[in-house]
Amino acid sequence: MKRFFQKASRDCGTILLPGILSLLLVFLLNDASATEDTLPLSVAGVSRQEALRLGERMYREGILPSGEPMLAVVQGDIPVDSRIFACVSCHQRSGMGSFEGTVFSPPVNGARLYKPWSKISDLSDSARKKLPRWMQTANFRPAYTDETLAVALRAGENPTGRKFKGVMPRYFLNDSDTEIMVFYLKNLSAESAPGVTATTMRLATVIAGDVSPEDREAMLAPLQFFVTTWGRSRSMELRARKTDDPMYTGYRKLILSVWELKGPPESWLRQLEEYYKKDPVFALLGGIAAGDWAPIHKFSEEHKIPTIFPVTDFPVTSETDWYTLYFSKGFHQEGEATAKYLRRAEISEGTSIVQVFRNNRAGLALSKGFQDTWRGFGQRPPENMMLDQESAVTENFLKELTVNRKNTVLLLWLDDKDLPAIGNLTQGQNGPRMVFVSSSLMGQGLYSLPEKVRSFVYITYPYRLPQEDKGFRAIVEAWLRNNKIPASNLTIESQMYDLVAVLSEPLSMLKSDFYRDYLLEQIDMMEDQSANIALYPHLSFGPGQRYASKGCYIVQLTEGARAKLVKRSEWVIH
Amino acid sequence: MLRYSIIFFTTLSLVITLFFSSHCQGETGEKYKRSVKNYEVPDVTLINQEGAKVRLKSFLNSGKPVLVDFVFTTCTTICPVLSIGFSEFQKKLGPENAMVQLVSISIDPEHDTPKRMKEYLRRYDAKPGWDFLTGRKEDIDKVLKALDAYTPDKMSHLPLILLRSRSDNRWVRIYGLIGTRDLLREYQGVLP
Repeated sequence: MKRFFQKASRDCGTILLPGILSLLLVFLLNDASATEDTLPLSVAGVSRQEALRLGERMYREGILPSGEPMLAVVQGDIPVDSRIFACVSCHQRSGMGSFEGTVFSPPVNGARLYKPWSKISDLSDSARKKLPRWMQTANFRPAYTDETLAVALRAGENPTGRKFKGVMPRYFLNDSDTEIMVFYLKNLSAESAPGVTATTMRLATVIAGDVSPEDREAMLAPLQFFVTTWGRSRSMELRARKTDDPMYTGYRKLILSVWELKGPPESWLRQLEEYYKKDPVFALLGGIAAGDWAPIHKFSEEHKIPTIFPVTDFPVTSETDWYTLYFSKGFHQEGEATAKYLRRAEISEGTSIVQVFRNNRAGLALSKGFQDTWRGFGQRPPENMMLDQESAVTENFLKELTVNRKNTVLLLWLDDKDLPAIGNLTQGQNGPRMVFVSSSLMGQGLYSLPEKVRSFVYITYPYRLPQEDKGFRAIVEAWLRNNKIPASNLTIESQMYDLVAVLSEPLSMLKSDFYRDYLLEQIDMMEDQSANIALYPHLSFGPGQRYASKGCYIVQLTEGARAKLVKRSEWVIH
Repeated sequence: MLRYSIIFFTTLSLVITLFFSSHCQGETGEKYKRSVKNYEVPDVTLINQEGAKVRLKSFLNSGKPVLVDFVFTTCTTICPVLSIGFSEFQKKLGPENAMVQLVSISIDPEHDTPKRMKEYLRRYDAKPGWDFLTGRKEDIDKVLKALDAYTPDKMSHLPLILLRSRSDNRWVRIYGLIGTRDLLREYQGVLP
């Protein structure tokens, strides 16, 4: 349906090629000059800034300025406490609305509310007149005023007197609450975000710390290719000048800045601020860091700048942060999957779980991922053995872990140089019952795991299995070759391939509404991806979901010289 | 012969559908579409909000009247309304509440973990007798297809409640968002 409206507006724009030059721009200019003159000094007895804060709380959390919940009625007779069903739920952070199933929630941002609007939005008057009559009038409404907007919120009807559907809550708001809400909506997504001009959109990618030249190239080259070929720049640019069709007037030439961060991670945030001050960007794309992604994540949150798919094994794991969309939780996710698998393996009560890891980022992330998830299941925490970065793991050390313990499960978050010691483990009276290792830490060394331990060594594998990935790898390789992008690290290049596959549509769906939250919302609304992406079996999206790949296989290695990985779990383990 | 029987059965099912389905003007003025359908629930094992395995077929055949809807925890529009509806339905039923089984089935099973589902039910003040199920994506898809609730994209999912009083295959299908009074009326209508 959403596509239908876009298609309709696209078709109509083409009919109207010699039309009037962008009514839309005229509106935007009018809006910009009007807001300054009409801004009140205070709103409902509080400062403008405070009114915006209170309005945001009403809109996003459903809490009134008094601190009480906002109450309303939906579907005619269902009382709602807006803390579970706030405005943001349907109309989204940007205010640009949503289309879900059969329910269309129209935009309620300032720029749209105070302009006449219809479902066939964005068309100039002359374009609208070319539509069939029934479409011209469908749901058309004049511009809201503060007064009519107040009526809409409380009585649920628009300026033409048309009643909203029952799914739109009718709010019980007093006069000053209404005044604050109206003021908030008027200012919500009223202007384009920084980084966007009439012809360009500036983006940046972050390269932080001591990243190898190969990895840097693998991240940067595909991204630069994407940016320079976006919308086949030249032809889109020419069309954008000639038409008022929003499909084209929304076209912006993309410019990619490369933000290099040097020195210790503690200084990264400051360096980012400096770059941003000099050259504001609309969003950050990709990026790669030798270290935790946390400083860049923090920058993104503080400035409300979306970061789409950075290449990192060390993301921030949070259920509530908003602005960074990661491929996955990295090492943390492998630890998590292990905990979920063990829970389903129905190991006996008296089982001892011992985690061995080095005091480095990977070791800490894996062990934390396991421990947090395991404890979340109400289980006794595992025993943790943290080793120094340099210390060697010997056969005896591992063997002693299982002596005097019954039914031991060893989580050996170690790397390929520890394989000889792991390979000498034996099951039996004093041996471990199960051993877990991480494929991301072991790398290709994994395949040299001695045969005698393969029956009880389980491996976390957060990608498509190699035998299922062949075709997809070939597609990425062909993509690189055909576009003359040098190949240096196929894993990173596959991630960049996925970034392009995911981002292209949401970016073009923005049309002329350049609000950062709206970009994230467009991605949130995307269909799940599996056939068009490399590396991961499945990427899924949803409002507020910030880790697109949710799974990790637990696999084992088959016997024989040409060993294969075989699944012992589903992609997502519950 | 085969062709004729296909035509015959297609026509027959069309007639039956037309006969049983009707547009209802709800008491609150909202329209919804009611029909009676035959669905065979597949025998799959799902996971509830406690992380426990649930065999769907026997769970739904417990003998209690059942209401089923399809939601996901990060859903923006339809699910909150459906879930507020379930919550209000439980409140309105009062003590009779224990006699009815409400089941929400996740259509975003990769993201909806037992922990998230439990938190979701808590947010909607769910009382015992309202369970939320997730599971393997393939199993969930099987259920959705069997109950004619499948859409390839979760964002285009349907505002749907299925209602059944006995452990047979006869379901009342309510398509469209519905007020509590209408839902109670539909529920009472299926009771023996």
